[in-house]
Amino acid sequence: MSRLAALTVLAAMLVCSLTPPAAHAVSELASLHASFSPNRLGAPTTIIFGFHLQTVEGQAPPPLTALDLRMPAGMNYTTTTLGLSICQPASLLANGVAGCPPNSRLGYGSALVEVPFGVGAGHEIPEVQAVAGPSRAGNLVVLFYANGLFPVSAQLSFAGEVLPDTGRFGSQLQTNVPLVTSVPGGPDVSIVNVQSTIGPAHLIYYKHLHGRRVAFHPRGVAIPERCPRGGFPFAASFGFQDGSATSASTTVPCPPRRR
Amino acid sequence: MVGVERDVSSHRVNRRTAFTAGLCVLAAMLASVSPATALASRTFSLNETGHLHLTSHHGFTLNEQGSALGTISGTIYIHLHVVSTNRVTAEVNIYPRGGSLTGYASASYRPSGSVASFNGTMSIGRGSGRYNRAHGSGLSFTGTIQRVSDAVTVHVNGRMSA
Repeated sequence: MSRLAALTVLAAMLVCSLTPPAAHAVSELASLHASFSPNRLGAPTTIIFGFHLQTVEGQAPPPLTALDLRMPAGMNYTTTTLGLSICQPASLLANGVAGCPPNSRLGYGSALVEVPFGVGAGHEIPEVQAVAGPSRAGNLVVLFYANGLFPVSAQLSFAGEVLPDTGRFGSQLQTNVPLVTSVPGGPDVSIVNVQSTIGPAHLIYYKHLHGRRVAFHPRGVAIPERCPRGGFPFAASFGFQDGSATSASTTVPCPPRRR
Repeated sequence: MVGVERDVSSHRVNRRTAFTAGLCVLAAMLASVSPATALASRTFSLNETGHLHLTSHHGFTLNEQGSALGTISGTIYIHLHVVSTNRVTAEVNIYPRGGSLTGYASASYRPSGSVASFNGTMSIGRGSGRYNRAHGSGLSFTGTIQRVSDAVTVHVNGRMSA
């Protein structure tokens, strides 16, 4: 009996020691949304996603340092022609998206950041671009480029790596987000909101055909041919500079059945 | 009675002679045919290059057809199945004259710009005709996919028995 009690106490201690500190209290709230355009089973599509971050008090969150976006199983990368060229990170940072081949563009978006001084509703970074970067260990790499002009004049490039996933999710985009200082020597800015696309919408690629440069629309990643019960799941986890973390999930509804 | 015994003995001699002659003919035949058709299996190096084009795709599978050149030549078919963002499996069928070979491969898959490459191993699963005893494993299976046209170039190298 005393051995059983000792084992119980040991097990309880083990469970407590394995529980991550961030699980004790979540100080940030996250919301995630995702959609497909078009939303048709088996069709190449543009993935539209975005997230909003804030503290439980409704304030700007600590600076974001890590983002892991998980995408549904069955997304078909087999025939996509996105990312036919590669953009070098140094060229992207030096010249912006103009320094990248047109055929490396994957999507675009915008972000809302908050500087940790003064009072304001945040400041928009109107230009966030996604391009294909050099692969790492065989994994697809998405380079994000944000061009902030005012009040934060900073151009930053950071990479997300597409890794295989398991279960309900087929792949995940793991991204380490660099810190952006608001002013030289000042505190880092907080990312409040990001909207972005990954897909062919509004993208134009070029190919050479019989000696002529011909424009064409790339083919996107295809939506799974079957929709799981409840829709296509998306999930994201967020890590912050102060070591805290939070997560959010959403689903894209199954498209209506075609008659 | 004696005469009958002589006849039986004579028949035995004739059958033995015929059997010996048959063996000689068989040996001559075996010596004249290619190694792959020999009754005893023989190990040899396979070094194949295939150039294929897309014939259809269904879901995660690209169906490709083309020609293989190398140790054995013939029509080649590959069903390339993209398992995940960085892994493919493949069924490879080669139809040289007088038989066929079927192999199964698993490889890492690395899309990079307009070309995706794969690198892995293949095993010979079965054969028919001249290659009905075909077997082998751990053969190198590498190649590229042109992402615009889905044209595939594949290299298979290694030792196999047939």
